[in-house]
Amino acid sequence: MRYIFKFPDIGEGLEEGTIVEWHVEKGQSVKMGDNLVTMETDKVVTGIPSPRDGVIAAKFGKVGEIIHVGSALVEIDIAGVEGDAAVEEARKPESEKSFVEAVEEEGAGVVGTLEIAGNSMVLSASREGVNSEKAASSKERKVLATPVARAVAKGMAIDINSVKGTGPGGRVTKEDILNFTKEGSNAKPISSGSEEFSKQSAPQKRVEIEQLSQIRKTIAKNMLQSKHNAAHMTVFEEVEISELERIRGKYKEIMQKEGVKLTYLAFIVKATAMALKKFKALNSEMDTEGGNIIYKRYYNIGIAADTEKGLVVPVIRDADKLSVKEIAKEIIVLSEKARDGKLTLEDMKDGTFTITSYGSIGGLFAVPVINYPQAGILGVGRINKKPVVKDDSIVVGLVLPLSLSVDHRIADGGETARFINAIMGYLSDPVSLLMD
Amino acid sequence: MFQVIDNDGKVINKRWMPQISDTRLLKIYKDMLFARVADLQIVSYQRQGRIFTYPPNYGQEAIAAAAGALIQDNDWMVPAFREMGTMLAKGVTLKELFLYFMGYEDGSKFENAKFTLPISVPIASQLLHAAGIGYAVKYNNEDKVIYAFVGDGGTSEGDFHEAVNFAGVWKVPVIFIIQNNQYGISTPTKMQTASDSLAIKAVAYGVKGIQVDGNDLFAMYKAIEESVKVCRNGEGPVLIEAVTYRKGAHTTSDDPTKYRTKEEEQEWDERDPMKRLKSYIIANKLWSEKEEEKIIPQFKEEVDRQFIEAENYGPYPKEDIFKYLYAEMPDDLHDQERQYDRFLQWKATKIK
Repeated sequence: MRYIFKFPDIGEGLEEGTIVEWHVEKGQSVKMGDNLVTMETDKVVTGIPSPRDGVIAAKFGKVGEIIHVGSALVEIDIAGVEGDAAVEEARKPESEKSFVEAVEEEGAGVVGTLEIAGNSMVLSASREGVNSEKAASSKERKVLATPVARAVAKGMAIDINSVKGTGPGGRVTKEDILNFTKEGSNAKPISSGSEEFSKQSAPQKRVEIEQLSQIRKTIAKNMLQSKHNAAHMTVFEEVEISELERIRGKYKEIMQKEGVKLTYLAFIVKATAMALKKFKALNSEMDTEGGNIIYKRYYNIGIAADTEKGLVVPVIRDADKLSVKEIAKEIIVLSEKARDGKLTLEDMKDGTFTITSYGSIGGLFAVPVINYPQAGILGVGRINKKPVVKDDSIVVGLVLPLSLSVDHRIADGGETARFINAIMGYLSDPVSLLMD
Repeated sequence: MFQVIDNDGKVINKRWMPQISDTRLLKIYKDMLFARVADLQIVSYQRQGRIFTYPPNYGQEAIAAAAGALIQDNDWMVPAFREMGTMLAKGVTLKELFLYFMGYEDGSKFENAKFTLPISVPIASQLLHAAGIGYAVKYNNEDKVIYAFVGDGGTSEGDFHEAVNFAGVWKVPVIFIIQNNQYGISTPTKMQTASDSLAIKAVAYGVKGIQVDGNDLFAMYKAIEESVKVCRNGEGPVLIEAVTYRKGAHTTSDDPTKYRTKEEEQEWDERDPMKRLKSYIIANKLWSEKEEEKIIPQFKEEVDRQFIEAENYGPYPKEDIFKYLYAEMPDDLHDQERQYDRFLQWKATKIK
């Protein structure tokens, strides 16, 4: 018979592991305890021994592939075990798995249980010796509900006591609330004494519930990770760019004929890449586990793009080696892909520094969140005409506001200021881009 | 540090060489070997997904074996979780230990081992129980000694202080055995305490203390033997720091390569307790490599046999979760059980 050996949870609450090396081949016989494969998990790198004697009938996954806990790792032909027992053995983990999934989807049981403790805020006093039935019946009167359900009910102004719960032990779940409003049955808004309020709080309109998209989940995770791990520090500057405007104006039309839209951003990307070459701390990341700082000798500039689905950051590779025109072309290609939702993982990985250019939409200064584990992010604000002092007289200047956030663990204040000075130098005197 | 044999198993401290008959010594060695074989097998079972998290004993066997050789049926065993040798000597079966690590309540119910507390995973809390038991033993004028175990990490817990202090004040018959295996998970002993050693803490508590080479079976045996005399004479507790090295991981969820060097591990391989005792018994013609080769497969088979018995133990009843904390279940727990029942009923409707 075939025994399917599924990757077990060898840590405490592991979800997956990566195959490091196979130690068996298809057709090879193994004894219980023989090493099958080396797996790397969050906790350890370890050999996984065979749980049975037999012959390897199939292996699942190549070196480098991720195997989820509960997924098949190998199939072993076991001599001597036949028939129903065998089938049952192979099947068993499957049914367990589907059960876990069912519970996860609902999630109500676990949350609901916690809620009981949370509701009274303090641990209940010992009721040892109190009449048991009485104690139980008093508990029955309380409406059990998950915090989510309570929040939804409150948001929809539904009296949760009038909803019949279908969760464990009669708990009111989120679905119960939603169904309740759909049925529109005895839906009684919480009486407020004000008809006006009742109207306003008519069901359905107060909240709209949308499941988190994968992209939103990723954004949330990355933002939080950055805020938790990096020591954010932001510096604001203004740079006068009349000269840049003049040059851009001159070449814009020439390039337009070639179908290239020459933007300020292209110059900013170039200036940033050039400045990064001078100040390596800003193009590095901190490896706290290894106790190292990793300086990158390649300059891949991420461009934060605003799309309908959310923030994405495609990357312009080796920006230091590209001309402003090439960068401008690259920006067009990437922004079209971003708009059409066609960016691949390849387009977005390996950035070493990020630029977020919100000024075209609005905003002078911002405190951008670092694209962790990068060391810095440059925010580009709205260009505006402003009085500036030139040769001791006030003239109309074209001012570009910059906001540079850095990871203060890596970049000191002096280094940060020198870095932004370098960028400003390139932008106020664009010809210098050709000099370095 | 108190030592009797060197790394090659040669006696370097004749004066304190304990008197152990050849047959008895051979039994101690075989028990150690059995524990080591079982320990390695269990780690393999864990990697096969057949048992939950397990803390290996690998490299520390001499300490538990020495205590196991001396502990009497009526003495109290208060374990932490890395004392397989003493547990087996007390009469706990491997199968019972397997059940424990498989999550069964019955894994704490030892059919044959008297006066043995369940395994204690919370760090150092068991020492308070040991001190309390010691107080009761003394109060009732019983002739019993309490063997209490803790790791080096556990000495940083408040419970350690309370227990040793209390035991010292009341002169209760407890032998506190600290298995200093150099790391509290990944924290090295140097970062665990500013004291020169763990044994020296005995001075502050006004109790007897000794630092012993925990990889030297004879030294451990002698130190415990003398401690038992101290306890039986009513001269109060003894604190033993057994210096050893955990050759395995802290538990199966730990990867020691992240915080130890190969060089360090090799250095401690030289001091391996099994290697040292084996050199001694082979030099004294009590044992041979051939005999060892013959016996290991038998041990493996026995370990497998008990493991498969545990694997086929069947599901445990729901009541197990609730009924063992109190002799009589209080109403709060009854309530929780009812709620759990309702949860299970609800869950049943969700599984297709």
